Amino acid sequence: MSIMEYNGGSVVAMVGKGCVAIASDKRLGQQFMTVSTNFQKIFPASEKTYIGLPGLATDVLTLSERFRFNINMYKMEEERDIEPKTVAHMISSTLYQRRFGPYFVEPVVAGLSKDNTPFICAMDLIGCINFAKDFVVSGTASQNLYGMCESLWEPDLEPEDLFETISQALLNAQDRDALSGWGAVVHIITPDKVITRSLKSRQD
Amino acid sequence: MNFLDSPLSKPAPYVVAPIEHRFDPYEDNGGTSVAIAGEDFCVVASDTRQSNGYMINSRYAPKAYKMSSTAVLSCNGFHADGVTLKKVLEQRMKMYKYSHDKDMSVTALAQMLSNTLYQRRFFPYYAFCLLGGVDADGKGAVYCYDSVGSFERENYRTSGSASALIQPFLDNQVGRKNQQNASTAPLTLEAVLRITKDAFTSATERDIHTGDNLQIFVITRDGVEEQNFPLKKD
Amino acid sequence: MSGDYSFSLTTFSPSGKLGQIEHALNAVNRGVTSIGIKATNGVVIATEKKSASTLIDDESTEKVAVICDSIGMVYSGMGPDFRLLVSRARKYAQQYKQLYMENPPTRILVEQIARVMQDYTHRGGVRPFGVSLLIVGYDEVNGPSLYQVDPSGSYWAWKASAIGKNMINAKTFLEKRYNDEIELEDAVHTAILTLKEGFEGQITETSLEIGIIGTSTIGVAGKDREEFPLFRKLSPSEVKDYLANIA
Repeated sequence: MSIMEYNGGSVVAMVGKGCVAIASDKRLGQQFMTVSTNFQKIFPASEKTYIGLPGLATDVLTLSERFRFNINMYKMEEERDIEPKTVAHMISSTLYQRRFGPYFVEPVVAGLSKDNTPFICAMDLIGCINFAKDFVVSGTASQNLYGMCESLWEPDLEPEDLFETISQALLNAQDRDALSGWGAVVHIITPDKVITRSLKSRQD
Repeated sequence: MNFLDSPLSKPAPYVVAPIEHRFDPYEDNGGTSVAIAGEDFCVVASDTRQSNGYMINSRYAPKAYKMSSTAVLSCNGFHADGVTLKKVLEQRMKMYKYSHDKDMSVTALAQMLSNTLYQRRFFPYYAFCLLGGVDADGKGAVYCYDSVGSFERENYRTSGSASALIQPFLDNQVGRKNQQNASTAPLTLEAVLRITKDAFTSATERDIHTGDNLQIFVITRDGVEEQNFPLKKD
Repeated sequence: MSGDYSFSLTTFSPSGKLGQIEHALNAVNRGVTSIGIKATNGVVIATEKKSASTLIDDESTEKVAVICDSIGMVYSGMGPDFRLLVSRARKYAQQYKQLYMENPPTRILVEQIARVMQDYTHRGGVRPFGVSLLIVGYDEVNGPSLYQVDPSGSYWAWKASAIGKNMINAKTFLEKRYNDEIELEDAVHTAILTLKEGFEGQITETSLEIGIIGTSTIGVAGKDREEFPLFRKLSPSEVKDYLANIA
């Protein structure tokens, strides 16, 4: 079995009208055995930017700490908040440094820039960035998520509608993936606040 | 040194190695099918693209076949096996008709398809079938199969190259999964056709093996109707 | 190499001074004057370029250096020391860009160069740099900015500054001429005038080097053809036009 699928897990991000959303499942497994049902895969990078890290759990842990370090250093040195696009390039560079012995994660970045322009992107495990204007998916349920997002997503969704859309997309996608599931967490990032909700789902 | 002792005088003998033969009788021709059962109807839809790797063999190569006035069969996987399987089934349906003097019901056809597939348990047809129709009670029926005849009657199912993209969508829209206080009323034919077309237009965006045209069969008690719906050709 | 101590050459005197740094500053003060002026919509650096001999091909010497798209730098003092700092600065700017896909903000680059210069005041086996720098840049965080870095590694942000031989007179001149509403065009004029004050002999387009950046010096990059302020050096013919307006 692929290392990318060893622990399971999925992340999805979507753009709305003046807002973005990022969501992940909560499962951590070892192959088909579920080990934890509350494993964090989305990490805050700044007030208005979040990083999703589906993939090999040990690398998720290592990288989330490393990105936290880098972003804190950036904040102190530059005396400003890091922009989502800068976060993306920082992650991309970090991954490409290990071009021939990669970290097994496929990160997703979602956030609002300084002027509150929505930004989302996804990367492969060596840092090749996919800047999308609509939605990005990653993880073991990525195929399922593509199908869901492609049919549910529409442009200019208001925060609450975006929440419903991303939740339905993730829930139905992960229910058809044996390696993702056991609940979900959704972050809706708007200019004045971030709404975080935990979702219950099928426990199997 | 004596010449006979030198390595030149004793050339290495020919090494006898077993010659490897490989038999690769299967191909994957891509494509996707959807089957949804309604109260008193059934919809079976397949795209018509036939591909091999990155190559498109045909933009119109149907893989769904009308088997009788109440049943439609779609075969994803290896096209040649699908065609052969269809032929075998047609022969057996004729035999059934001659001996029973009546058309086969979907229910009977479903069981026969399973047997036909299992007969080749150790050299299977590389075909993943969906069988849709209306049963003897006039109710919509969908049967889905693996390549060796394991099957199940369901209300909706997709199979083929974009099945991972479409199945969760059907769970959501047809099975109303993860929807709180959603209506449980049976879907109308219009709704089913809309969902089917949506599913394929979405899948075509991301799956390169699916596209070109959508062949839709609507099976009711009165027979089978066929429609076509264009899909993206890129 | 036992017994080979590498004490820093810059050792505190009992009075608390670092003699080598003071000497380095003296080297700077013997150097050719350089000017920097920050305007509302940009910033300019300028310096004299005087050849020791008429036989020198003065196109071969470069005193105003481009560090990256958004940053430029000039010096007073020792040319070879400057070139080392330029290559360090350029390398850092590219490293930063490789990491974040954007140019370093001016302050970040200045801090980095200042760190290098500070390092040369306490490391073993080296001497301080014999240059002061004027670094200018334009970024979306702070807009236009002008920094001076000294051999000690200390740095300041200025509205207008001068370094080198004629520094004192030039600063007095700038204090009189500067106002907060000055625009880039006027700033270039003022810079030339300031240099002219202390210039010995006839000032020509080949005896001046000027670098500017601001909202009017536009570069384009990326597939979206995004526009951004670009640091560039004025060509001799552009300098000639400015000189014609002054005379």
